[in-house]
Amino acid sequence: MIEVEEVRKRYGEFAAVDGVSFAAGEGTVFGLLGPNGAGKSTTIGCISGLLAPSSGRVRVCGHDVVREARRARACIGVVPQELALYEDLNAADNVRYWGAAYGMRGRELERRVGEVLELTGLADRSRQAVKKLSGGMKRRLNFGCGIVHRPRVLLLDEPTVGVDPQSRVRLLDMVREQAESGTCVLYTTHYMEEAQELCDRLAIMDHGRILAAGTLEELRALLGERDLVRVTGEFEPERIRHGIEALDDTEVVNIDSGAMLIAAGAASRRLPAIFAAVTEAGGRVDETTLNRPNLESLFIKLTGRELRG
Amino acid sequence: MSVHFAIITAKKDLRRRLADPAALLIWLALPLAIGSLLVLINSGDGGAPRGRLLVVDEDRSFVSGVIAAIPARGEMAELFDVVHVEHAEGRRLIDADEATALLILPAGLQGAFVGKGNAEIRLVTNPSHRILPSVIEEAMSIAADFAVYSERLLGPAAPHFADMRLDDATASPSDIEESLSQLVRRLNSRLLESGKRVLAPPVLSVELAPAPDESESSGESAVPDIGRIFLPGMIFLSVLFVAQGMSGDVWNERRLGTLHRVACSPPSMAAFLAGKLLAGTSVAALVAVIGVAAGIVLFDLSLSRAPLAVLWVAFSGCVMLVYFVLLQCLASSQRAGDMLSNLVLFPVLMLGGSFFPFQMMPDWMAEIGRWTPNGAALIRLGEILDAQPDFPAMALAALAIGVPAAVAFALATRRLSGRFLVS
Repeated sequence: MIEVEEVRKRYGEFAAVDGVSFAAGEGTVFGLLGPNGAGKSTTIGCISGLLAPSSGRVRVCGHDVVREARRARACIGVVPQELALYEDLNAADNVRYWGAAYGMRGRELERRVGEVLELTGLADRSRQAVKKLSGGMKRRLNFGCGIVHRPRVLLLDEPTVGVDPQSRVRLLDMVREQAESGTCVLYTTHYMEEAQELCDRLAIMDHGRILAAGTLEELRALLGERDLVRVTGEFEPERIRHGIEALDDTEVVNIDSGAMLIAAGAASRRLPAIFAAVTEAGGRVDETTLNRPNLESLFIKLTGRELRG
Repeated sequence: MSVHFAIITAKKDLRRRLADPAALLIWLALPLAIGSLLVLINSGDGGAPRGRLLVVDEDRSFVSGVIAAIPARGEMAELFDVVHVEHAEGRRLIDADEATALLILPAGLQGAFVGKGNAEIRLVTNPSHRILPSVIEEAMSIAADFAVYSERLLGPAAPHFADMRLDDATASPSDIEESLSQLVRRLNSRLLESGKRVLAPPVLSVELAPAPDESESSGESAVPDIGRIFLPGMIFLSVLFVAQGMSGDVWNERRLGTLHRVACSPPSMAAFLAGKLLAGTSVAALVAVIGVAAGIVLFDLSLSRAPLAVLWVAFSGCVMLVYFVLLQCLASSQRAGDMLSNLVLFPVLMLGGSFFPFQMMPDWMAEIGRWTPNGAALIRLGEILDAQPDFPAMALAALAIGVPAAVAFALATRRLSGRFLVS
């Protein structure tokens, strides 16, 4: 349903997206995971037709998004990162307008408007001006406007940013329902938990490139089931690296004079050896954190930095 | 689908406007308020200045009575309150700044009038008043001229006339009547003798002239109502405010994120913009309906002119909106867009006859104004309201403002889909 081949988007010398390729099929949720500025929104922009790729090709439902823009757009639903609603219209009017924009009319449109308002839990607020709705309600309505025309491909660009936990759970449920009904969902986020919880396949992005892609299991395997140990204190980087890497199944991912990140198999049992190596190398340990393997640890391993912050 | 999308976009925009009726009312009421003020300023309905003229009649004669009556008759009566006072009271009032002028008609005035001695009429004016004392001076100057010519006209009747007094206690009413009758008879015969040289033999020529149109002969129609002159300009003032105000909505659409959603949907940006123009055209038509209805009620405009006038204003409003949308799209921010459109709005308002009618402008300025888009459209509206639509000129004006508007539409669409959307 979505085929992205070697897509690049350049702004002068800066490459916002740099040779991205992936494919997503019917009834699946494909996640694009990465920090702010990784190129996720630009990738979505190229797929939705909002931005013209500098090179490469994007096909949606078999239609080239540049050459057959209108056909491609007709099968895409977009839920943008920022709200895209008319604040002075009511909820029903917003849904109705976007349904009509996709060619829906008459009874079909009215029926669908009712369904979407029901689905988003806004049926009892349908006559209320959007500006009077809560932030979470607006997010749900934003989602509703993106699915009113029953798109075969749904693009969601960080739809849960700034959403209260209750609305977030509701939104994630709605995304799952869309996928279960056969829609191909492309979901961008910088929340690891969401990606782990929701996505069938994932691509980890940073600096406009895909660093790793696959199912959650495939990505975990890349990490080698090793835990991540973050140690803060005072270190002499080269001496410490030498001492730590002398230990079995242990690797220093990143180190500077105040913090060190170590990937180690069964790290909880290796902590005494790690502390001893640090002490021997003339270092001092102030604080230690141990993480079980997950997407975040994979991201840290791939990029050398945490996803948040 | 594009037409359908344009229509639903127009409906959506009109709903949004109705959701904020205050802004809509301001668009309609602001030009109305400005226009009404301009009409008031230019109509002079604020009332003419009125002065107080003090008259000291020391002669109490027929002539002094006539002179004292000059400022109290005809159009001068609208300018002056004439008050008869004693000399001392008159001086006190003029010194106290409680009068415009003091006219002193001395004893012996009537005798001097017919050549028996000299008399001097004195006029003391209030230096803090500027215009009205000049009016009195001018009137007295005319009275003096009249005295000179009257002396020549009266001739032998003068001595008898010099003895006439208005309050002669010794004379009975029949004596005065007899005296006046004799005077008039002598004047008549003298006038006839003098006139015979000119009138005999009488030469008469008859010229047949068409009867004047009743409407032209009536004072009201000959001088058009000032409000009627301002009406087309006021309608366009409102239309331009609407066009400028609604053009900024492209920035609102961008801020709301809805423009991005439109760009990702199948309909073209041209259809979206067409919808916005359709909404603007509808509001302009509403303005025209209100304006023309006011014209019908207040200035007796013919109802038959209304449809064409409304259509013309709606078309012109659409054109103005396209121009303003292009300006907004070319700006780097909403604030810059507002500034740019205001920079254009006010000069074209002033020059294009929307603030001051072309009839009240200097010729050179009116000539420039007629070449502005709103000026060209306004002239045609004036002709429609005057029931003298010049259809070839209208077609030409429609082309002159419509073709650049079509180009502006294409440029604005391109800009909305490109740099405006993603910058």
